[in-house]
Order: sequence, then C-alpha cells, then structure tokens
Amino acid sequence: MRAASLVVLIAVVLPFVLGQFWAYQLGLYALYAAAAVGVGLCWGRAGFLPLGQSLFFGLSAYLSGLAFIAFQGHPVVAVLALPFAALVSALLAYAIGVVVFRRTGESGAYFSMITLALCLLAFQIATSWNSVTGGFNGLKGIPGLPGLDDISDVYYVGAAILLAVLAFAGWVYAAPIGVLWQALAQNERRLQLFGFDTNQIKSLAFGASGLMAGLGGAVYAPQQGIVTPQAVGFGLSADLVIWAAVGGRGNLIGPVVGTMVVGSLTAQLRDTLPFWEVLMAVFFIVIVLMFPKGIAGFAEPLAWLLRSQRDRLVVAAPKSTAARPPARLVLDGVGVHVGEVTILDRLSLDFDAAGIFCVIGPNGAGKTSMFNVVSGELAAGSGTIALGGVNVVGLPPNRVSGLGVARKLQIPSVFPELTIADNLAIALWSGRATKLQLLAPRLRRWTSPMLQELQSRYPFLASGTRKAAELSHGEQQILELAMALLTEPRVLLLDEPCAGLSPEETGAVMEIVRWAAKRLGGAIIIIEHDMSLVKELAEVVYVLHNGTLLARGSVAEIQADPNVRAVYVGGEK
Amino acid sequence: MDPLIVTQAINVLYAVSTLAVLALGLAVIFGLLGVLNIAHGEFVMIGAYCAYVTQSNGWPYLAAVPFTLAVCGLLGLAVEWAMIQPLYRRPFDTLVATWGLSLLLRKIAEAIFGLGFYSVNIPLPGTVQFFGTEYPVYRLVLIAISVAVVASLVLWYGGSRTGSRIRAMVSNPELAQAQGISVRWLAAGTFIVGTCLAGLGGVMVAPLVPVQPFMGLDYVLRAFFVLIVGGLGSVSGLLSGAVVIGGFDSVISAATNAANGYFAVLVLSILFLWLRPRGIIARG
Repeated sequence: MRAASLVVLIAVVLPFVLGQFWAYQLGLYALYAAAAVGVGLCWGRAGFLPLGQSLFFGLSAYLSGLAFIAFQGHPVVAVLALPFAALVSALLAYAIGVVVFRRTGESGAYFSMITLALCLLAFQIATSWNSVTGGFNGLKGIPGLPGLDDISDVYYVGAAILLAVLAFAGWVYAAPIGVLWQALAQNERRLQLFGFDTNQIKSLAFGASGLMAGLGGAVYAPQQGIVTPQAVGFGLSADLVIWAAVGGRGNLIGPVVGTMVVGSLTAQLRDTLPFWEVLMAVFFIVIVLMFPKGIAGFAEPLAWLLRSQRDRLVVAAPKSTAARPPARLVLDGVGVHVGEVTILDRLSLDFDAAGIFCVIGPNGAGKTSMFNVVSGELAAGSGTIALGGVNVVGLPPNRVSGLGVARKLQIPSVFPELTIADNLAIALWSGRATKLQLLAPRLRRWTSPMLQELQSRYPFLASGTRKAAELSHGEQQILELAMALLTEPRVLLLDEPCAGLSPEETGAVMEIVRWAAKRLGGAIIIIEHDMSLVKELAEVVYVLHNGTLLARGSVAEIQADPNVRAVYVGGEK
Repeated sequence: MDPLIVTQAINVLYAVSTLAVLALGLAVIFGLLGVLNIAHGEFVMIGAYCAYVTQSNGWPYLAAVPFTLAVCGLLGLAVEWAMIQPLYRRPFDTLVATWGLSLLLRKIAEAIFGLGFYSVNIPLPGTVQFFGTEYPVYRLVLIAISVAVVASLVLWYGGSRTGSRIRAMVSNPELAQAQGISVRWLAAGTFIVGTCLAGLGGVMVAPLVPVQPFMGLDYVLRAFFVLIVGGLGSVSGLLSGAVVIGGFDSVISAATNAANGYFAVLVLSILFLWLRPRGIIARG
C-alpha cells in the first residue's frame, strides 16, 4: 500500500516539478509505458517475448481515432469507445495466443517471430488501406478528449491510464494467475502435470498484455490528435522491448522506469548525438545478457523500505474436485512405437485401487515410458488405459491430472525461483481453484489439513519465503513429493523417489510414502531399482522387460521366478 | 506457349531459388547449432550495402563477393565469440541477443548510410529471348547461381571430412569433442558459413531491391517461414519450403498485391505450425 501511494504521489506532483514541456512528453510516454508493462508481463513473468506489441497499441489507437471522428458531436459515445478499442486489442492478443500456443505449446522463437510478422503485416495494412487508415499520412483531425484541453490535463489522462494499468498488473501479479505465469516460465511441464492448461494460461498473459497496450493506444488517438502507421510499426515494438529490458522486465515498475528514462533521453539526444541509437542497442544487449533485472535490479536493496510486514493468515482450501473414491488403474495392450523402436509392447498391467506397488525392471524396460503414457505425456499407439473405467488415452496431461493422477518426476522438478510457500500453493490450487478464483490473491494463503501435517513432519516446508532453489537435493525431493500429495490423488506415480538421497533422507521418504498410502487410501505406484526399498514397501511387484510385463507377484514370488532371475543375472531370456 | 505464362513461371522460379539461398544461411545456423539468428536479415542487408559500396567506388561488381564475405565473415566471428558461443543451449537468451544484434546492425547502418534508399545498378543489364518472351539476363543468372550455391553446399556437407565432423558435432557434441574434433571452432565456422551465405544473398538481390537499413526484417521472416513450412534438417525440406513460400507469395502478389502475398504466407506458416509443426519433410 505504501508503495502504491508513493507512486500516485509522484505521478501527481511530477508536472509541477518538471514544467509543461516535460509534462506533455511524459503524458505520451505514460501511454507507451502502459504497453511496456504488458511486455514486461509476457517476458519478465510468463517467459515468452512478444516482438510485435505495437500491433495492439496501434490497432486500438486506430479504432479509437475512427470512433472519435465518427462520433464528433457525441463526446460521451466517443469516450465509451475507449474501453471497447482496448478490449478488441485484448481479444486479438488472446486469440493469437490460443492459435500459436495451442498446437505446439511453442513459446520460444516461433511465437516471437510470428508476433514480429503480424506487426509488419499490420504496418503494411495501415499504410496501404488509405480509405480507412488515411494511409501513410495517417488518420488526422481526431478530436481531443472532451473537456480536457490543457497540457497538464493531457499529462494527467496519460498518468491515470498508466496507474490503472499498474494497479491491474500489481493485482494479477499478486494473484495466483501471476504465480502461475512465473511457474510457467520456470517449469512448464510440472505445471501441466499439476492439471493446469498451460497454453491457456500463456494466452491469458498475452491477452492481458494486449489489454494494456490497447488501453495506451486508445487514449493515444485523442491525446495526439493523429494516428500514423508508426503506431503499429516495428520501431515502436522494438522500443517497448528495449524499455522493458532496461527498466527491468520482471519488475512491476521496471518497464515504466525504462520507458520514462530511455524515452526522454532519446528524445533529447537523438538529434545531438549521432550514435545515440547505436549506443542504446549496445546497452540493450549488455543489459539483457548481464543485468536481466535492469535498473530495477539496482534499486532492489531499497525494496525493504516499501515492504509492509504483515502476518499471513492462512485460509482453509476447499475440497479437491479431483478427489474421488479410489479406482483401479488398468493398462490393456498398450503399445508405443517411435519409428522402428518398440517402447511398450502390448503392455497390460492391473493395479488395485489401494496399495503400494513397485515397478522394477532393467534399464530400457519401459518403466518411465509406462508412467509417461499414463500421465498423458506420451501418446499410446494402441490399447487402452482405464482409471475407474474412464479411458485416459488421448487426454493431455492436465486433463489426466484432473482425474486424480499425480506424478513425481525422477529428477526433482519444482519451481526453483518461487518460494516454498508458492510451490506448495500451486499444488493446492490444482483441482481446487476455479478459473475465476485464480484472480483472488487470498488463494496464496490457502492451507489444507494434509499440508499442515506435512509441515509439522518437515518444518522446512513452513519456511515460506525461502526459494525452492535454495533447498538441498533431498529437500527438493521431499518438496516435490509433498506437492504431489497435496493434490490428494487417487493414483500417485513416483519415479525413483529416493534417487540420490542419503540413508536418512531415504528413510524419511519411505515413511512419508507409507503415511500417504494410509492417508490417501489410493494407489501409489513406485519405480524403484533398490531392491531393499522394494522389499520394505511393495505389496505387489511388477517386473517389466522389453516393454512388456514379465512377472507380477509378492517380493518373494518375484525373487523365486526363474524368468526374472534370468533377466537380472544376465542369462538367456 | 503464352509468353505471359512463361514470364510468370520464370518469376516463380526466380523467387523460389533466391529464397532458397536467403533461407539457407538461417537453416544452417538453426538446424545445426539450434540458434535462431534473428539478425540473419541484417547480414543480408550488410551484403546489399557492400554491393552498393563496391559499385559506388567503381569496382567491378564481382568484387562485392569477396568484400561481403570478408565483412560478414569477420562480423560473424566476432558475434559468435561475443554472444552466441556463451549462450549455446540457452535458446531463449540467444533469441533476445540476436534480436538485439539485429537492432544494433540496423542502427549502425542507419548511422553510416542514413535512413534513405539506395539503388544498385544491375551489373548485367539487358534481356534474352526465352521461349518467345524477353527476360532479364541478371535474373536468369541469379537462378543459376542460386542452384549452384545450394548444390555445392549440399555436396560439400555430404562429402567432405568437415561435413562429417559437423554431423558428428550435431548428433553428440561431447562425443565429437572426445574424438578430437574441435567443437568450439567447428561451431564458430558453421555460424560464419551462415552469415556469409546471408551476405552473399544480399549481394545477389541488391540490384533488384531498394537498399535500406530495414530491408533485413522482410528477409528473415520469409526465410523463417521457409523453415517452418519445410522443416529443419534436410535439403529437400528447405527446397520444398522455398517452393511453397516463394511460389505462393509470388503468385498471390502477382495476382493481387504484395500485402496479400505477405498475408497469405503468414497464414500458411501458422497453419503449418498447427498441422505439421515439424514441416513438410520432418527428420526422424
């Protein structure tokens, strides 16, 4: 709160300190800054880089310019067009996100290049569609905002839009959706396995950034009185990326600082210093590679001045919608082939609804692949996988998770740059939070009886502000296991949960597994190499070999089986 | 045969073959090193400016080739050392870095040559009779050069020791290193081949387009579309991508206007990303 009031105060007094000329300039830069905050959201939070953000700024500017001209005599109608124009930009961004992310989940180079291409296309349309856009010379004679003609009014309108965008961004960053954006950038696969539709979450981020650029663009038209193709041009798109980077893309205020500082310096120096823009480009590369936190990073030591100390009261989470009575997991004739290679060969397995089951087999037997087909990450070429009678073949990982399947990966897979508390919160949201609730910041304080029990067993899980990356390997294993348990799954898949752990840590994991089996009442399926662990835990052991089931039975039965001995001792099959 | 159709057919052939050369450098760097060099188009621009400088000094046009290769080669070496090599296997950082590089190269060109357009005279003016129609000689020569460049690179890659070392590096860098192959220099060399190919493409097209700082954007996007449609990792993919993108673009542009042609290839590329994310000819 203190930070917010400080920002508002600065915004209000700035024109008195700097004078009319700068007030006018800053009124314009405030609108650009609104768009730059959106670039910061995509790049600094959600981890994908839009290179054509001016598309949404310019589209909205043209729409609002056209509306202001069309409703010249009806200023109230024209003002109503402002949010409408911004909304069109937001929806377009969301739609582009859905189209590009949906098929491939691609958020790297392909996404960036397509946004760049769309921006160039928009520029071409803007310059060539004379009858609507006014072509190269632009849309001229746009009436101003009604009742605001003073230069300081222009500034305050820009500042108000920027503050609104910052308030919106500050809110979503504090809400679960903001945490999910960060999680997405760090470990997309883990998020999918927790049941989140990551492509939709990414599209929402891009849509939100489109809204921010759209709000800036909508006000730009009446403020400047003219919209030229430069407003959708590549140059502005590039500037927005530079401003966000220089100011600090991961920070809420960073892109604003970058826009104001670089924008006003450029306006001053472009003409007097011939190599200014070359210097800026070099500066950008250095910032990106060496100071990813930008200017905001240098101000970080001061952040404690603004931090408010509040006790985080916990809120009870509702029951998981994925929580259903335990069910049998049945694989029937599952085949997976990649090229010539057979990974799973008509594999049929049948797991009881409750109990601890171990899957063993030599390297390459298909154990992890079996987990991958069950969790929906690997497509089964043939056969069915039924969980309580529902066939999960063909469902994406997030839908399988929704049916009550949780998974712990072999190498600890957490969200390293998030706090332990946020890591655990994401697991709690899985299957419990509705889409609308993802906008409610109080969800970050959710807790559940299971979480409280886990926290009393492992006190480090209660140290909320530490980052997951600071934990030891063993602690990360336990954190990920705890996260998987918090979803209260019907079927829990554990891939070598004790790999790389000390004997004490191994003991802790075994204890937690036994406890979880009782507590959840469902099936826990463990891939394990260590026979001493298997002996301790397994009720039934399944031996896989060459992608198919070789034997099943109790530990004693398996050890006596001549086929199993042949495979392990290295005799002929 | 109808002369107009012959002209159009050669136009399509010209568009496809030059596009293949312009995409080749991007494909080499992306396919072999996994680095999407957004500044690829700026190396094309540098080639075009080199051609302009060559001509305005009164040197023979062919002198632009070694000139460009020297400039793009040295620049490629410096860039690879400063920002590509430290970022291998960090594709997102490389993306941002090469985007910054493209910005830098554009601004440098702007600072030296200004924002204005330059035109380069066609080194081989005149036309030839061709199936009952007149066609510019220079374009026919470009088609031949394009075919020669692509073919010789493919033959060299497939047949030489260096080619097989590169293949070893791509499939397993650690093992290649252990076999005594200097992966470090091989990767640098591969990057330089890519930037030099871009520069060469710039010299080729310079007489036919306005030379200006922003010209590279268009080339890198078109080359990128070729890679999306064709898929990475094979020559047949590159060629089929060039045929689809170049052919579609030139036919639709000729029938309507350039913006429509551009829109069509963009939509086509997005469709491919959806329906065949690994391109027409997918490897493996």
